[in-house]
Amino acid sequence: MSLRVLVVEDDREIRAMMQSSLSVEGFEVQTAVSVSEASALLRHSLPDVIVLDLGLPDGDGIELVHEIRKHHSMPILVVSARHQEVQKIQLLDAGADDYLTKPFSVSELLARIRVALRHRGTALAAAVTVHELEDLRVDLTLRVVQSRGETLHLTPTEFKLLARLVRSAGRVVTHRQLLTDVWGPEFTEHTHYLRLYMGQLRAKIERDPAEPRHLLTETGVGYRLATV
Amino acid sequence: MKAPAPSVSPKPPIVTWATVFLLLAAATAGGFLLDHHISLTSQAMLYVLVVVIASYTLSLLPSVLCALGAVTAFNFFFVPPRWTFEVANQEHLIALFTMLLVALVISHLTAGLRRKTDLARLNEMRARQLQELATNLASASSTDEVSVLGQEALDAAFDGPNSVALLQSNESLGFGPDLESSVKDGLQSCMREAAVLGPGTGRWPGLNAWYLPLGTKGQMNGAVCIQNVSAADTVGREHAQALCALLAQTLWRIKLSSAMMASQAETQRQQVQSTFLAAISHDLRTPLAAVVGAASSLQTQRNKLSAAEQDRLLGSIVSEASYLSTVTENTLQLVQLTNASQKLKRDWESMEEIVGAVLARMRLRDPSHRIKSKVPNALPLIQADPVLLAQLIGNLLDNALKYSSDAIELVVSATSDEMQVSIKDRGEAIPVEMHKGIFEPYSRNDQSGQRGAGLGLALCRAIATSHGGSLTLRRRSGGGNSFTFAMPIDPMQPTGDPL
Repeated sequence: MSLRVLVVEDDREIRAMMQSSLSVEGFEVQTAVSVSEASALLRHSLPDVIVLDLGLPDGDGIELVHEIRKHHSMPILVVSARHQEVQKIQLLDAGADDYLTKPFSVSELLARIRVALRHRGTALAAAVTVHELEDLRVDLTLRVVQSRGETLHLTPTEFKLLARLVRSAGRVVTHRQLLTDVWGPEFTEHTHYLRLYMGQLRAKIERDPAEPRHLLTETGVGYRLATV
Repeated sequence: MKAPAPSVSPKPPIVTWATVFLLLAAATAGGFLLDHHISLTSQAMLYVLVVVIASYTLSLLPSVLCALGAVTAFNFFFVPPRWTFEVANQEHLIALFTMLLVALVISHLTAGLRRKTDLARLNEMRARQLQELATNLASASSTDEVSVLGQEALDAAFDGPNSVALLQSNESLGFGPDLESSVKDGLQSCMREAAVLGPGTGRWPGLNAWYLPLGTKGQMNGAVCIQNVSAADTVGREHAQALCALLAQTLWRIKLSSAMMASQAETQRQQVQSTFLAAISHDLRTPLAAVVGAASSLQTQRNKLSAAEQDRLLGSIVSEASYLSTVTENTLQLVQLTNASQKLKRDWESMEEIVGAVLARMRLRDPSHRIKSKVPNALPLIQADPVLLAQLIGNLLDNALKYSSDAIELVVSATSDEMQVSIKDRGEAIPVEMHKGIFEPYSRNDQSGQRGAGLGLALCRAIATSHGGSLTLRRRSGGGNSFTFAMPIDPMQPTGDPL
């Protein structure tokens, strides 16, 4: 059975483009032009992944994300234009999994959907406990972080921060989510903690901290642990 | 008039009468003490002395009463027959009359003198008040400030109650709360007539208040009301008019300067708009033509085109469209940054991270790793909008990749108070005479024949300026260009971590 994608997009051209390029890749594509149509479709059947455009005629979709997240864990990809930065972050905070900035290429869209679906698979099969990519290996159960074969000594906060990123490996984690999960909900405005601790983590993990391979920055949004 | 100085404040009655009594008692006591040593004339002189003192220090009525008291006491205590009010000798009667007359004359003279002194002092005080008000108003930048200063000045000069009402932006008068409706009407009429109303002015003399306009006909800024005044107080009214003239002048100045600022903003807005139009004609039309051309060719002639030609057309559509996207992004961002009301979203950011994110994006276009980055460890954090800084660094690297073919250096450095990012290429050096104009929208160094990033450099400079920093260009020794972005580092670095 092929995987089902729900594309919520009000622009006819972009909707048609996504529909055809996703169908070609073997997805079963459903489309909706508004938040209300999307909610109606979701009541009948559940897709495996949702691609949600910002700035729909009947709302920015935050209600929809809240509604979906009450019951379901399927990946939600937010598609936004540059000027919708604030709403985009709101949706990510509300539980959307990743984002694409317009204009995007089909290959970017497919890559994001693949990452999102891979995460879905691992999320269902218990939590991620081991992350491995090139010279980095993180084992959350044993609390071991190895780089280039050597075991690194991380402070408790550094480890907590890295562990949070490992649990969402490949996906963007917003500043707010990281601050809430690592320091606590009262520290959501203390972004400088993130800057300082990410700097320390990079200094320990990355070969060239100025051009990181693992701990990627999503400027103005958050961080992402590289998986490819 | 409010008493302007403590010396003229009237003494309480009890003090006045006590003074009279004490003076008389002193003269009488002196007379008795020296009874056997001096003549009656000298005793009279003692009384004259206290009368002079009384008339000089007290007002008319107490000094006359003091004179009468002195005459009576002198008569009773010293003029034979003593201890009676009878006068035995005509000579003594003359002395008594003289004393009374002296008291009256001196009292009158001192009163006149005192009035003149008071008036001089009052005028001096008013002149000083005008001067102070003028000084304070010079630094006032809002009508609210002027209103407060005006109210203070009026309250200092007049017993009032006084009220200042200024013309609001909606052309109506802004009244204070709980102002009587008659005062409101008066203020309105005063504004309409652009003339002083009230006692002594010949207009509406029946009122008990002066209404003074702030401004002249056609340049009206409001009005002032001073209650409980008299028609005779011409000097007071002139002072009030002088105060109002100062207030009106300042209000007019503020109005003019805000009009000037508005027109400057308007000019800037128009400039931005024309820049935007220039962007459309200069940088959007050509790539659009290429996209439309390539796409329509594929649509109509696909069967006649070889696979390689089709690929070339498709490639040109993608690259031209992404170029369009960059130009649009830069233009919109520039328009937004030029809009003064747009506030930057600044937060504590790490330059290492921003550079890292830009490089990750750039490497797609730089597969041969021409960009060499040098970023020191443990850089201080900066207060910045990371998206904008990434755009700045990205635009500069983009240009460097486009206009040069050798290695490009990206160097970050920090002193105690400044962060610097330099992007150095070995491309053809931009002529020095173009160094200034190159940051203006649409004055690109076009000698290479390549298309630039539209408003790229203009936007870069706008981003630098909006962060309180600068973007400069200099020629490198040995050929090439070096663009340096510098921005201040907040000396109060954030620290503290509860864990």
